[in-house]
Amino acid sequence: MREGRLRRFLALPASAMVLALTACGTSGGSTGGGLGSGDLLVGVLAPFSGADANLGPAYYAACLAAAPAINNNGGVGGRHVTCQKFDTRGEPADAAPAANQMIASNSNLMAVVGCTSDEASAVAPIVDKAHIPMFCMTGQSEFNKTKLPYFHRLVPADIYDAYGMVGWVQYGPNHPAWNKVALVFGDDIGSQSFVQPATNALQHFGKTVKNFPIHLGASSFRTEVQSMLAFKPDVIFTEALGSAGTYLGEVKELNSGQTIPFIGTSATIDPAWFKDVTGTIGVNDVVQYYRGVDLGYTFSGKAYDEFKANLQAAASTFADAPKYGQRGSTLHLYDGIIMTGLAMVATNSKDPTVYNPKIKDIANGTSGATVVHTYKEGLDALNAGKSIKYVGAAGENNFDQYNNSQSGYILVKYDAQGGEVQVIGLTPEQTKKLSDAGGI
Amino acid sequence: MSLLIAAFGFGLVSMAVIALAAVGFTMQFGITNMINLAYGEVMIASAFVAYYLNQARVSVWIAMLGGAAFGAVFSFLINRFVYTPFQRKGTALLGMVIVSLAVSLMIANAMLPIVGYFSVAYRERFSHLLRFGDIALTVNQIVIIVLAVVVMLAIHALLRYTRLGKAMRATAANPMLARNCGIPTNRVIDAVWLITGALCGLAGVVAALDSDSFTIASGAAFLITALAAAVLGGAGQPYGAMIGAVIIGLVTELSAAVWSPDYKQVVAFAILVLVMVLRPQGLLAKRGALAAAG
Repeated sequence: MREGRLRRFLALPASAMVLALTACGTSGGSTGGGLGSGDLLVGVLAPFSGADANLGPAYYAACLAAAPAINNNGGVGGRHVTCQKFDTRGEPADAAPAANQMIASNSNLMAVVGCTSDEASAVAPIVDKAHIPMFCMTGQSEFNKTKLPYFHRLVPADIYDAYGMVGWVQYGPNHPAWNKVALVFGDDIGSQSFVQPATNALQHFGKTVKNFPIHLGASSFRTEVQSMLAFKPDVIFTEALGSAGTYLGEVKELNSGQTIPFIGTSATIDPAWFKDVTGTIGVNDVVQYYRGVDLGYTFSGKAYDEFKANLQAAASTFADAPKYGQRGSTLHLYDGIIMTGLAMVATNSKDPTVYNPKIKDIANGTSGATVVHTYKEGLDALNAGKSIKYVGAAGENNFDQYNNSQSGYILVKYDAQGGEVQVIGLTPEQTKKLSDAGGI
Repeated sequence: MSLLIAAFGFGLVSMAVIALAAVGFTMQFGITNMINLAYGEVMIASAFVAYYLNQARVSVWIAMLGGAAFGAVFSFLINRFVYTPFQRKGTALLGMVIVSLAVSLMIANAMLPIVGYFSVAYRERFSHLLRFGDIALTVNQIVIIVLAVVVMLAIHALLRYTRLGKAMRATAANPMLARNCGIPTNRVIDAVWLITGALCGLAGVVAALDSDSFTIASGAAFLITALAAAVLGGAGQPYGAMIGAVIIGLVTELSAAVWSPDYKQVVAFAILVLVMVLRPQGLLAKRGALAAAG
């Protein structure tokens, strides 16, 4: 999974003089004292150009939705949140200078969001060294037990996506037996991280599986497709961001107009992916043959409603923003920004070394914490001297000791408009069986 | 074995697409001494022009002409208003490469807010699949192969039998001498940019059609294969680019069938490196730019 990999918040460079003010604060003072003054900035550090240019906008939309949720309620101690794009071009060589430039030229960074698998390995240490909380969209396994304290991941590691896909084969309803599975992922290290856990789990369940890596971005995959078709798979596991349309189009073409059922990762729940694939095999085939996995979003409730309304309003700044209403990464990053704002208020500090640990407390909640769903609810509770647990637009969060948040999977499909349709949820028992079968 | 034969068929398609792109690219260099790294972006811009025409219910084959026309005009304007002023100031070849790289980035970034970052596809992306034994080609792909052959023959005829073609070769061989002999080299160069720009636009639409779907980021991939074929054949040599396209197109597909798709590009570029080691001037550069054309 390329997108959906890293999200990180960057926070402001430390200012020692605020420590005295924060010493008393576990509840929120919003006077602006320890929180400083002037606008705060959320850096959206992601690809906005290059092969993965479709990823950055999803994260930018999250920030545009989160900013008014905070600003319309007094900001963070009176400070308004703003969003700025920092283009990594999806290349580590471009990403590292972009991260350095972002940090060097902005002393008001409260958090960083974005950092996909394209550049996470390059930028996460830089952002961490600057002591800025980050919410990254990567599933890379190297972050499963990261030692970067400012790193946060609200999306699952790729291996869990792989297990979710195997879950479709094992527990998904209304499909014939899928005994032969073709794995079609990019030939880069990040994309191939799905392969081993999926292979292990599928073989454990007695399935025949074969890996057919492709070079993402190639202009055609005809020989690769022909080779895959010779395997006669019942179903294809794929992600292939940026190349899925071409690949699946050629599958249909070379398979005499017949699309083979395919299961996508959670990153394939994405308007760009939907448009790419429907553009080549048609909406009807996507609705009929696509299966996907996602985290258990409800797309409802107070938090989601506010998110959705703000996303609609963000269209005046970014016309495509409303398209990301069901994009998991957009929901998660929105929550990440809200939680960071609340953490700053809760600690009455603009110092990320002070408020960074509070993010986890607010996400997981502590004993007796009041559950809040919006920034305003959180602010009110903090001002009343309560501790809080934020359950946001994407639902509950549950950070482990490595700041990885993991929640249950659902099996999904697309409707004709590109909306997500939940089929069933995987039970904890099913998830455990899959995870045990994967053995990683 | 059947996969190998099928891959050969796919190689023919790749070869056709690469040839259309590589010949225009190499002619630009051979005649105007310009390594135009913005070529891939002009290709993709032309593909988008054709896409918008196609969305307006114009057949992709007609829209292809629109793409070619756009490529011609756009390339001409880039040369007139960007490259030529730098060349007049005596900017060295390496400097011009950097200028073209800058133009490439400017085009890509200027296009982004216009065309967006979503993939698009032509309406006629699917056509009947025809099987010739183990070779399976769609009607679209067969048309692309035929189109490439026709265009290559037309380029051959242009360079060999027309006054303009002879003037191009003369300009390529020695611009000053050509000017002194009464050849209006500036107009010849304008014509070269129009013709190669049209080839570029045509190649962009063909490559986009062949890819089923394309995005603004596809330009880089298109450029790399065209560049490889042009260099392999001998920079500045249209016939060399045709041969380079045959080799790159077939080798990439066959190696994917014989070994693994992982090695597809590795094998193609290994051959390129090998040729460059054994024959640095490329396969057909023995007698200088465009000389083989005559």
